[in-house]
Amino acid sequence: MKHPLSLSALAVVLGTGGALAQDVTLTLWTESATAPEGVFAQEFSEMDNGITIDVREIRFDDLVTDTLRAVATNTNPDLIAIDNPDHAAFASRGAFLDITDRVAASDVIDIEAVFPGPRASLTWDGQVYGIPRASNTIALYYNRDMFEAAGLDPDSPPTTWDELLDAARTLTDPDNDVYGIAFSARASEEGTFQFLPWAQMAGGGFENINADGVSDALALWKTFLDEGLASPDTLTRGQWDSTGTFNGGNAAMAISGPWELGRMATDANFNWGVTLLPVKEEGGPRASALGDFNIAVFANSENPDAAFQFLEYYWSQLDRVWPEFTRLPSVAGVELAPTGDDRIDAAAAVFTEQLGYAVNRGPHPDWPRISKEIQDAFQAVLTGQADAQEALDDAADGIDSIIN
Amino acid sequence: MRRALQSMRDGIGFDTMLVILALSYLFVFAGLPLIYNVVISFQTVDVFSLGTLLHPSAGAENYENIFDDRQAGTVLWNTIIFTLGSVAIQFTLGFALALFFHQNFTGATWIRGLFLAAWVMPGLVVGVLWNWLLSGDFGVINHVLESLGIIDQPVFWRSNPDTSLYSVMIANIWYGTPFNMILLAVGLSAIPEDLYEAAELDGANAFQRFWTITLPMMRATIGAVLALGVIFTLQQFDLFAAITQGGPAGSSTVAQYWSWELSFREFDFGRGAVISVLMIVVVLFVSLFYVRSTKAETQL
Repeated sequence: MKHPLSLSALAVVLGTGGALAQDVTLTLWTESATAPEGVFAQEFSEMDNGITIDVREIRFDDLVTDTLRAVATNTNPDLIAIDNPDHAAFASRGAFLDITDRVAASDVIDIEAVFPGPRASLTWDGQVYGIPRASNTIALYYNRDMFEAAGLDPDSPPTTWDELLDAARTLTDPDNDVYGIAFSARASEEGTFQFLPWAQMAGGGFENINADGVSDALALWKTFLDEGLASPDTLTRGQWDSTGTFNGGNAAMAISGPWELGRMATDANFNWGVTLLPVKEEGGPRASALGDFNIAVFANSENPDAAFQFLEYYWSQLDRVWPEFTRLPSVAGVELAPTGDDRIDAAAAVFTEQLGYAVNRGPHPDWPRISKEIQDAFQAVLTGQADAQEALDDAADGIDSIIN
Repeated sequence: MRRALQSMRDGIGFDTMLVILALSYLFVFAGLPLIYNVVISFQTVDVFSLGTLLHPSAGAENYENIFDDRQAGTVLWNTIIFTLGSVAIQFTLGFALALFFHQNFTGATWIRGLFLAAWVMPGLVVGVLWNWLLSGDFGVINHVLESLGIIDQPVFWRSNPDTSLYSVMIANIWYGTPFNMILLAVGLSAIPEDLYEAAELDGANAFQRFWTITLPMMRATIGAVLALGVIFTLQQFDLFAAITQGGPAGSSTVAQYWSWELSFREFDFGRGAVISVLMIVVVLFVSLFYVRSTKAETQL
């Protein structure tokens, strides 16, 4: 009885299977067939329930674009795993199936147990339009060996912005190709994802991106770049590649999420640890980004019952999401089973705490445009083309005109 | 009736039918989308109304928005620099290589064939390759330049707003040169050998022969290559997507990339269409030039 929750829920899922028409084929679009929904869909297809799910992989960068095009031409799949800030665009326009009543009637899915952040991302106008795949957030990875070599205490990593900046300065070692810190300030959703927590810790957010302290957050990022504490390629590199330089020993700290853990455990041949994102001043508010995907059924699916049955199966497997995929379940009461790697298990506690401070991007149907305003602002400042406050004021005007 | 059938089988009717077939194909697959694009540029179209045929009119608002956009000046300037720079250097290098391989030394045709390998690679693959080559910290190009003592500090090609556009341009020149070379090589081999022999007998040196025989005889080919070069460069999208994504801070955004960004990142298809319409106008003029060049070629 390794998974008591899964087995009892499985029985429910299988029990309802008989009522459905035989041999239904569903399609599922996802960024990766090896992500939980891909693996679970495969298992679900192999079960004797008359339902087969065809999983189609679509590059993360193309997922929204391709899906929008498919919706416009009525060629969309039955199911999709979609990045949480993009969920509202589809839900608000009726592209996703309203599953409020089905969820209420379900013995498996308990939507009340979903944490507030992910729950807000899949709710529109009080109705439920999907289930969370998992949640993630970003924290600070650091190289314990480099901390020791530089005379810093690896057991007390930086907790404030000032300490972080000092540590980055101490750890930067151009002669050995080591940068103090790696992060992503790319002009894409990843950049927004990485920047918003800093804006939020400084008292801002996407609705008030020009709040008083936000320019300090930008100033910190600019200092990292201007003093050569982070690679100039931070401006064009995504999180996965940036953290790759940390794993390779070319950066002493890195800001990224739990999806890195698996690769880091095998690639990084040094001692590493994870800590909460440093706050602006001691005792200041914490914040982080809320990441990961939701799974939704399309409103025009011909087999909504079968598709919902898959959502129930997915839910029944939630306790596998951490140990097998190092993703954090978005649901209260799911224990994080040990993975057998002490470093990953230690990180689990940090990411779980950090997730408690995670703030949604949106939800707003025009999130991509809001995000673009934020990207334009930090990129203009970091490249020295605009003054921080001016750029943020511009972005705030732009966002105002989108929201109102 | 008989006469009509006769004409269908062998005569003016048959010719007309072929022309109509070709024209209707062009109209359906090129003409209609083009017209639709112009129509959309005067409408408000978002992704959820994309599937319907009729959209609310926007008047000239999309055009005004584009011209008032703070990015517009940079994009226009970038597009001009990128297009003219890429075409000029691709053409020069391509011509030099074509002349070089025209010398017919051992293995010339083989090596010339190998050059084409670059051109048959998908743009996205080329983009990813150059992305690595141009990387600031670990890029091969920086390593070579540093080893040769040309630079002491790594150049962050992609991430410095002053060089980002040029980093894509370098990749594009590498990508487009073989195409220029092949077309120009074909032109070169069409010049009768006896012209050169006669000139040599008259005492013309290599430089004079190039100016008075090669260039004038190649005029039609050169016109066509330049026109195609401009059109292909204005189409270049993959390299931008793979190397800079138009950044940092929009410093390497060109018209075609901006159009895509507006349409598929911000889902404002109306404004995206405005840029395509403006680009079509430019391409139309270039095409006229191309048609004139090839017309001269067929008359030769």
